[in-house]
Amino acid sequence: MRPPTWLIVVLVGALIGIVFAGLSTYDFVQHLDRQVHSLHCSFIPGMGAGAGESGCQVAMMSTYSSVFRSRVWGGIPISLPAMAVFAFIAFYGLDLLLTRRTNDRRATWFLALACGLPAFASIAMLTISLAKLGTVCKLCVAIYVASAMVLTGAIIGWRKAVKLQAPEPPATNRFLGIMFGVGVAFVAVPILLYLALAPDHSKFLGTCDNLTKSDDPYGVMIHMDRNASANAVPAIEILDPLCPACKAFEDRLDSSGLGDRLDRKAILFPLDKECNWMISETTHPGACTVSEAVLCAGDRAPDVLKWAFEVQESVREETKKDPAAAGRMVKQRFPELASCIGSADARSKLNKSMRWAVNHNIRVLTPQLFVDNVKLCDEDVDLGLEYALSRIIDAHDRGVRLGPPPAEMPPPPAMPENQHGTTPPSPEKKKAKPAADEPKPLPPAPAPVDEPKPVTTPTETSDKPAPPPPPPEPLPPEEPAGSGGPP
Amino acid sequence: MTPIRAGVGAALLAVPVMLTVMWIKSADARLEEATATPTEQVAIASAADVGYCSPELKKILRRVLMSCGLMGGDAARGCQPVQAKNVATMSGNDFNALFTPMKERGGIIEFEKNKSELTPEAIALTNQVFSEQKGASWFFVVARASPEGSTEHNRELSKARAEAVMTQLRNQFKDPDLDKEVGMLWLGEEFAQLETTFCEWKRSSKGTCAPEHINRSAFIAWIDCQL
Repeated sequence: MRPPTWLIVVLVGALIGIVFAGLSTYDFVQHLDRQVHSLHCSFIPGMGAGAGESGCQVAMMSTYSSVFRSRVWGGIPISLPAMAVFAFIAFYGLDLLLTRRTNDRRATWFLALACGLPAFASIAMLTISLAKLGTVCKLCVAIYVASAMVLTGAIIGWRKAVKLQAPEPPATNRFLGIMFGVGVAFVAVPILLYLALAPDHSKFLGTCDNLTKSDDPYGVMIHMDRNASANAVPAIEILDPLCPACKAFEDRLDSSGLGDRLDRKAILFPLDKECNWMISETTHPGACTVSEAVLCAGDRAPDVLKWAFEVQESVREETKKDPAAAGRMVKQRFPELASCIGSADARSKLNKSMRWAVNHNIRVLTPQLFVDNVKLCDEDVDLGLEYALSRIIDAHDRGVRLGPPPAEMPPPPAMPENQHGTTPPSPEKKKAKPAADEPKPLPPAPAPVDEPKPVTTPTETSDKPAPPPPPPEPLPPEEPAGSGGPP
Repeated sequence: MTPIRAGVGAALLAVPVMLTVMWIKSADARLEEATATPTEQVAIASAADVGYCSPELKKILRRVLMSCGLMGGDAARGCQPVQAKNVATMSGNDFNALFTPMKERGGIIEFEKNKSELTPEAIALTNQVFSEQKGASWFFVVARASPEGSTEHNRELSKARAEAVMTQLRNQFKDPDLDKEVGMLWLGEEFAQLETTFCEWKRSSKGTCAPEHINRSAFIAWIDCQL
């Protein structure tokens, strides 16, 4: 009962597939706790971290890493069925050995067919990775290799069996039918269990710092969805045009299709201490200048914002070397804004944009999205985007308000003497430290690849989801800049 | 043979099934735990409150702001010399010293003798200083007159100068918060005349800076204190 070489190749490939698809699934499932985790992102099973340097973060956060994302938080990672398919291939390969069907042309043809599934999926995912995400994750590559191994081995085995013309009767349709059913069970059982056991994240909807009002007394909101439909839900996004997390969030929102159901306005909140007194370190050099350009652009603001997202990495890098670079770049692209950028009016407007954040007790991080005043929790801006956002929008459409009623919401910090009445409770005397653009470390993606998260945290996300997507980027509060030293 | 095949199948099916169940349950447990544990909050956007905002300074600022119509809902906007002196309860020099930490946040808008119109340079400096609000909550306009002329005339002149600055701000910035954040004082020649040390501040005039020049002025500055 010594296995033929081709079967050994299939079995080893299946084992590799199980291991790497398993690691990818593990990384994905970890995030169901809404926390930040490092990823396995290495060709050596079990080795990890380094997510920021690879496409694992990008892959996992992309919409291609899972399916049914609106039904279950994060969706079902496609690496889960991948792991199940490799397990089935291993089982079927061993079964061929046990039942001495390794020379059976029909049985080996079925094996080749089964192995074609992960191979086909791998080709599709690799194409998506390269074409849409612009990166490839190591775990995914290992799965692609495993897919190639099993398919190659199975095809060789089938070809040999065909040539051999073994005298034994070939596998019956009944046998193949049963095996097909077993294969379906291998995939269906883990998926059904996943759906049944995945934690309920709906209880978090509407519980994250909702807005009590969404007025725009300063006229500083940027209308992002100029062609929004009449039924679109009003939304406010706090963003920084040079924030990678914001860009990644924009991409995710776009691919989710949910952006079409929103009528978004943006409040600019550059994480650049040149103009933002609430941070002690500049996370996005040049963000103040680019924000001024957006505010100067009037109806063309979305165009400037789009450009900023496209070139944000180079603007940040150039401005790091030369503080005037951001101004040069934006004026070169939009010469009609040259006289406005840097003007007293533009500075004042940008300042008012940040004052809006102060007046509404906004957290110091980007991006943040408020849909009809209900905040999309920072933990929901990447993997859970479709799940959470679709529910918030649906609730709005049904006339249901998520979260505590406005009256029960924490009132703005009491500042009896301050007529602004907007100063935050102020535990923070220190400036916020820019939460780097790195999105929270996200787990590597299953076969498919995707992008980083913002994070915001608060993290704040990048062009190419290259560096780990910044989760919304939080910043430490700080004291006013430029307040002059002691006499 | 069948039991062996079934065993192999069950074992391999158990791999994705058991791992999935185990990982999900583990994530669920961590989620429950995290939900029950307060997490460190991200900072909340807030107005500035810098180092020089000592309790004593805040006390005086509060008194000035209350008395000058910015806080407390009192009617009249602006403080006249006598009021300012009483409210500050300190000498003119001490009063001026309060503002010295704000050198980088302020400027001195100079006027021609016996005039209250802003020159183009004065308008530019006013706009520049005001547009650099950043996290500040309060903007002070403290207008003065040089000692030439009668006390009564200088009182009116300094008031007109403060109002000229206010009008410029109102016209230029259309800021709905203007009346809540700009505090005006006009001191005439009676209180807290500026010394030439203030010549080092940003001034709208590039000319000579004698005491009489720098006191034909409106001192403007953002104050980065929360009250």
